[in-house]
Amino acid sequence: MNKMYQKIAQKPALVMLVIIGLTSLFIYGIGQNARIETDLDEYMPSDHPAFVFSDKAEEQFGIKDNVLLAIEHPESIFNPGTLEKIKSISEELPEQFDDIDEDDITSLYTAENITADEWSLIVESFYEEVPQSNAQIKKLQSAVEGNDMIHGRIVSTDGSATLIIAEIGEETFTDRFYADLQDFAASWEGPETVHIAGRPVVEGELTKLGPQDMARMAPLVLLVMTLLLLILLRSVRNTIINLLIVLFGTLTAFGLMTLLNIPIYTLSTMIPVMLTAIGVADGIHMHNSIVHIVHRKPDISRENLVEKTMEAMVRPVTMTSITTAVGFLALLTSDVLPVRYFGLFTALGIMMEMLMALILFPASIYFFGPPKQALKSKQAIQSKVTAAHKPSTISGRFGEKLLAHPKLVVTIAILAVALALLGTTRVWIDTSFLANFEDDSQVVKTDKFVNEHFGGTSSLNVILSSDEEDTFKQPEVLETMNELQMKIEKNNPLVGDSFALTDYMRRMHQVMHEDNPEYDKIPDSQELIAQYLLLYEMSGDPDNLNQVVDYDYMNANLTFQLKSDSSAVMEEVIAEIEPYIPQLAEYGVEVDYAGSGYKSLVFANLLMEGQIISLLLSFGIVALLLSLMFGSLWIGLAGTIPIAVTATVNFGTMGLLGIPLSSSTAIISAIAIGIGVDYAIHLIERYRFNRIRGVPTIQAAYETLEHTGRAIIYNAAAVMGGFAVLLVSVFPPNRQVGGLVALNMATSAIGTLTILLVVLVFIDRHSKIYSNKISTEEE
Amino acid sequence: MYKKLSMLTLILLLLIGVGGTLFGAPDGLEVMEKVYYRPSGDDMTADLEMIMTNSRGSTRERSITQYSIDTGDVDKKLMFFLAPADVKDTSFMSWSYDDARDDDQWIYLPALRRVKRISSDSKNDRFMGSDFTYDDLGERHPEEDRHTILREENFQGESCYVIENIPVGDDDAFSKTVVWIAKNKWIGLKREYYDDKGEVYKVLNIDEFKKIDGYWVITNMLMEDLERDHSTRLKMDNVEFDTGLTDSFFSERQMKRGPRR
Repeated sequence: MNKMYQKIAQKPALVMLVIIGLTSLFIYGIGQNARIETDLDEYMPSDHPAFVFSDKAEEQFGIKDNVLLAIEHPESIFNPGTLEKIKSISEELPEQFDDIDEDDITSLYTAENITADEWSLIVESFYEEVPQSNAQIKKLQSAVEGNDMIHGRIVSTDGSATLIIAEIGEETFTDRFYADLQDFAASWEGPETVHIAGRPVVEGELTKLGPQDMARMAPLVLLVMTLLLLILLRSVRNTIINLLIVLFGTLTAFGLMTLLNIPIYTLSTMIPVMLTAIGVADGIHMHNSIVHIVHRKPDISRENLVEKTMEAMVRPVTMTSITTAVGFLALLTSDVLPVRYFGLFTALGIMMEMLMALILFPASIYFFGPPKQALKSKQAIQSKVTAAHKPSTISGRFGEKLLAHPKLVVTIAILAVALALLGTTRVWIDTSFLANFEDDSQVVKTDKFVNEHFGGTSSLNVILSSDEEDTFKQPEVLETMNELQMKIEKNNPLVGDSFALTDYMRRMHQVMHEDNPEYDKIPDSQELIAQYLLLYEMSGDPDNLNQVVDYDYMNANLTFQLKSDSSAVMEEVIAEIEPYIPQLAEYGVEVDYAGSGYKSLVFANLLMEGQIISLLLSFGIVALLLSLMFGSLWIGLAGTIPIAVTATVNFGTMGLLGIPLSSSTAIISAIAIGIGVDYAIHLIERYRFNRIRGVPTIQAAYETLEHTGRAIIYNAAAVMGGFAVLLVSVFPPNRQVGGLVALNMATSAIGTLTILLVVLVFIDRHSKIYSNKISTEEE
Repeated sequence: MYKKLSMLTLILLLLIGVGGTLFGAPDGLEVMEKVYYRPSGDDMTADLEMIMTNSRGSTRERSITQYSIDTGDVDKKLMFFLAPADVKDTSFMSWSYDDARDDDQWIYLPALRRVKRISSDSKNDRFMGSDFTYDDLGERHPEEDRHTILREENFQGESCYVIENIPVGDDDAFSKTVVWIAKNKWIGLKREYYDDKGEVYKVLNIDEFKKIDGYWVITNMLMEDLERDHSTRLKMDNVEFDTGLTDSFFSERQMKRGPRR
């Protein structure tokens, strides 16, 4: 194996050619096929029962995403100018946007007003010709205020704002559509303000903002990391090699992805994050080893330097890469496609980084000779090395203290992990698109405005179904639904509104009794309900009823409007519905949920469940591989300590700081595997390397700290520094990524250099694992 | 060559035109007037069955007994629901006027024991949620459209005029309709409704018509809404003409009292 790498490394022209060739191929692939997949539905396992059900219900009841145009007037919308605009916008929207039909618009202009007097039932528009006189406008205003199906839903209760709702299909909302809509909205402004809100808008902004911000921040991250590497390695050449490893690994991942025609998902942006941390680790360990060898033998020949370096490094670099890659491959067990791709292509990138590290370093030595920095500073380090048995350096003194108080180290580690475990119990799962924006951003402000004035920008569809025809004509069933609606609307301040067949029935009942508010309730006989329904079909728009109940009255759709798009709020509402399930079950009614908000909730939970399972699985795989590699179950288990500590502290910190577990923050914990494994293997390998050469336990530990410790700290410092840049990002999720990556690097490094080393020495002392090997391997 | 040809065409066209007038072939308006003024008795009684099918294949069925009378300037209809059971005895009355006045409509809900007038300017004037508009069921006055005979052809075994009707006003949901009118019977066998984009969005097919008591009556028809993927079949049974219904029968009192039989 060593020989193979050396042979390849001796042909720099060939290496260059292959790299340039592959680079062109990958860049071609990215240029030709790169397409960013932002449609959440594409991420979801469409055969999952929850999705199948939701899709069916969405089709059945015409549940679509809404784009909301909120028209705000400084005083009141009840004036000829604003009413004219509402009419014009309602008419112009379907004219100007091909994907919007006339039937898809709901506004004060299109809404029907059901009223009655003693003799007649009147179903009419609020207005057709824009009212001009004060008296007419007053009349319209009181009509709106007297109709709960409009008041607070389409027109705000204070009369200062009104909504124009456009239902759009899943494919409709594109950047182009959004830009056109913004222009459209702007053209109606003054004195009114026109806001655009709704889930598709937030989703659209998000998919635009995230990558935009990453594109802005990534060069900065690289720059800071480069500077740190230059300072730490004091070698331009090796810094460049490090960057090449990372860049080429990333290029490989994305190049292969695009060549295989796999779209780039939001989650895929985490691949470079992983590959940076891991690639830099490979590079620094190689660099470290080369410098070390040169220090000992300043006059070493190029061939010998390569020989020695490869002898020490091929094994650990291969082991770390394979173990880490296998760890990531465990993500293939996930139900969620982007997670599987994330695992697969990160693993491929890792393998490419391994090849690059094992080829570029020896090639650079063959070509340029030993790194100059190593020769220059040899004196300083020489003194440290000779003093290794009598610690005077920082790492030496640290090692002495560390090994003198093993119990203290273990106790502190256990306390830290216990605290973190406590934190993990406070981890809450939450996916919210809005949480990704700054509080003072336009998106958040608009959302807040709409939520303050109307029912809410998000919705949850509760789908009630039974096997019995005419179930939803039964008064007791409707009464239970009504109770449920009233109770939840009253108890949960984030539920702004709800809408179902019950609302039609209450309105009809009241209207047919001369608008007497005493009859604002569910009629008490099936006959009356059926007759109201018939009456509505004859006088109103029967298509409206199709949105709340099906043809056979076997399925009904109850919509809650929520003032937050947080999945935690949705789960809260679902929990509040639970108590009604037994009662509904008595009438043979089952409760399910649908809608895009609910689908993202299911999806997020599925995603996290999958990630946690994969994380545990890869943890097991790593333990097994390490046991095999080091020929000892105990060493294998000890090797998982950095991963365990890192993952626990990661989740614990999230819990303690109140960072919600979302699909993007959850995937960061995978870095625990990527880096934890690296550090553990390098540390154990170096210790073993020392021990089988006959170095006594303590000295071996000191030397390991000195040698591997430095590489680990450099690696952690460079990556942490780079990602810390993300903390000043304008995009909150990227800040979380930056912070958590930095945290994970730090925990991995500290965990490896303290607790793992102490445990390693303990195992070494209590089993004869290395003393046995000394004789066999040292002949 | 061109000149000769166009000359010839002109002569031919002239001949056809003159010939048409000479041999009495009607123009579009005349055909539609013949349909409109086709004798249909003074009054009529029938049992209706309405079957609506939605895109999922679910159906809603309603049975109705219907009485109608033509008093000269008013068409009055009175309908009683027989099924489904929960709307039994619900009744519906409509008066539609020959002049431009809006229809008057009343409904009686037995569970409420009350008659209410329905006043609806809903742009959606679908009859009982079906695919028929009130317009489709009533006779549309020929003056409301401009008519052109497109061609003559055999359709469902009948020799037919195919006529294009373009609305004069702009209140209609359709941009034009095309109808197949059976010659001599003056009965429409098929009607296509076109939207603004010039595409057919609704089709009415007559599956059965009979001569009862000397009048041609459509007894089975299907209206399909292609856009909504929704259809309504209307069947008529026990049709009787001129049974001596009086104007006073079409009253709120009768609505509460129930069908005559």
